[in-house]
Amino acid sequence: MTTVPAVPPYGIGSDASRLASMLRRTVVEIRSPVGGGAGIIWGRGLVVTNAHCVRRDAPLTIEVNGETHSVKSVAFACDHDLALLRAPSVAGPVLELRDPDTLRPGELVFAYGHPLGVSHALAMGALHGVVRDERTGDPRYIAADIRLAPGNSGGPLVDADGKLVGVNSMIVGGLGVAIPASAVQGFVTRAVNLRAA
Amino acid sequence: MASDNDTNTLAELSSQLSAAVEQIGEHTVAIHARRRIPSSGVIWREGVIVSASHTVRRDGDVRVKLPSGDDVVAHVVGRDAATDLVVLRAPEVKSPPAPRADVNAARVGSFVLAVGRPGRTVTASFGIVSADVDGWRSGSGARLDRVLRLDLAVYDGFSGGPLIAASGGVIGIDNSAFARGGAAALPASVVDPVVDELLTRGHIRRPFIGVGVHPVALGSAVVERNDLSHDGALVVVSLAEGEAADAAGILLGDLLIAVDGRPLARPSDLLDALSGVSEGGSLRATVLRGGVPHEVTIEPRDRDRGGAAA
Repeated sequence: MTTVPAVPPYGIGSDASRLASMLRRTVVEIRSPVGGGAGIIWGRGLVVTNAHCVRRDAPLTIEVNGETHSVKSVAFACDHDLALLRAPSVAGPVLELRDPDTLRPGELVFAYGHPLGVSHALAMGALHGVVRDERTGDPRYIAADIRLAPGNSGGPLVDADGKLVGVNSMIVGGLGVAIPASAVQGFVTRAVNLRAA
Repeated sequence: MASDNDTNTLAELSSQLSAAVEQIGEHTVAIHARRRIPSSGVIWREGVIVSASHTVRRDGDVRVKLPSGDDVVAHVVGRDAATDLVVLRAPEVKSPPAPRADVNAARVGSFVLAVGRPGRTVTASFGIVSADVDGWRSGSGARLDRVLRLDLAVYDGFSGGPLIAASGGVIGIDNSAFARGGAAALPASVVDPVVDELLTRGHIRRPFIGVGVHPVALGSAVVERNDLSHDGALVVVSLAEGEAADAAGILLGDLLIAVDGRPLARPSDLLDALSGVSEGGSLRATVLRGGVPHEVTIEPRDRDRGGAAA
């Protein structure tokens, strides 16, 4: 019978706070008549969030780096619970995307958002599994053993390197459920091309 | 993030965790023996799978999905009600047993992962060992030498799966049934003897004498007259006909004062004394009948299914 030796202690606290300060500059707080949530800066003037955090044609404000911007929603993908917002004055670092096919159960993941009104909160957990579409085999949801609350919706789920794993969307049976980064990228590309055409 | 510092311990820990899950995932199977979702099991020895008894609802032959995706047939060898373990034999499973974790990997506060395979893919949840409990008394009255209480999420397929160390290797078998749905695990040191006995015997030997007892307090006069060291005793309130106690001449209303010289104050004291009896061994019970002490020798019998009554 093989035996695996125990690990030396880790100093991960400083790493996690570095992750939090990086995410603080790229995660926005969304205020809308339906409550709001978190959003992710997706390039110059674009913010991605959950569709359930915003309402079409309703006034919206977002707060980032202590500044308040007024924005409007430009595209929805209700099957994925995603919304794209245009906010010309918003800029910030853009997260690298993590390929869902490389995700491994047990990896550390971090959720950043504003759970229960607590602004800019970080939660840590482990990747639970990737739920795939039975027909196409495409990643449909990312399940994570992580504590989420209302206010995390629309915010990022990132890996230990700060790459975007998905957009936090739901809590199912205690597990956090996120929309895979690849699906979000697909949605944004389609929405932007549609407007350009 | 990774580029601005060479040593990202977070990323290192993360990849270590996922590597640990991947390694043990190769020894974690899905057992199709209940409705809805399959339950998780661990390849404990070559051709032997261990899981949580309450998740494997069928006896006889059941279908098991291996990490490779292949389906094989496994046979339920036996169950133990006390530890809620079930052992299955699957001759077609040729993969080596899951590696074990270092004993120091399961201290209170240690990082651990619960791994499951409730279907095709492996799942994991992450947390710490929150308590290491010695002498846990289970719902059925049996004593478990050691149970680990865990601070991590319980999900579908949790029970029966392996609890693993952050550094890799199996610590024990997860089970949410011990602590009212809370996360707990039986360490390998408790699982191994149960597996041994189920493989050789098909059930766990439970010495049984066939009495129902209730604790009583003896008066000080009785204690002084009989020169007793304590004032507690167990009164016999029921007697199973033809079982060991009945055969040894125990009567309804007898006061059991001590067994093998050890005082009896609670029914659990009698259970503990019974569990220490070796196969074919006997107990010397000190009985107070009509105010007069008697010595009675009882030869416990083996009872197939565990239960609370001694």
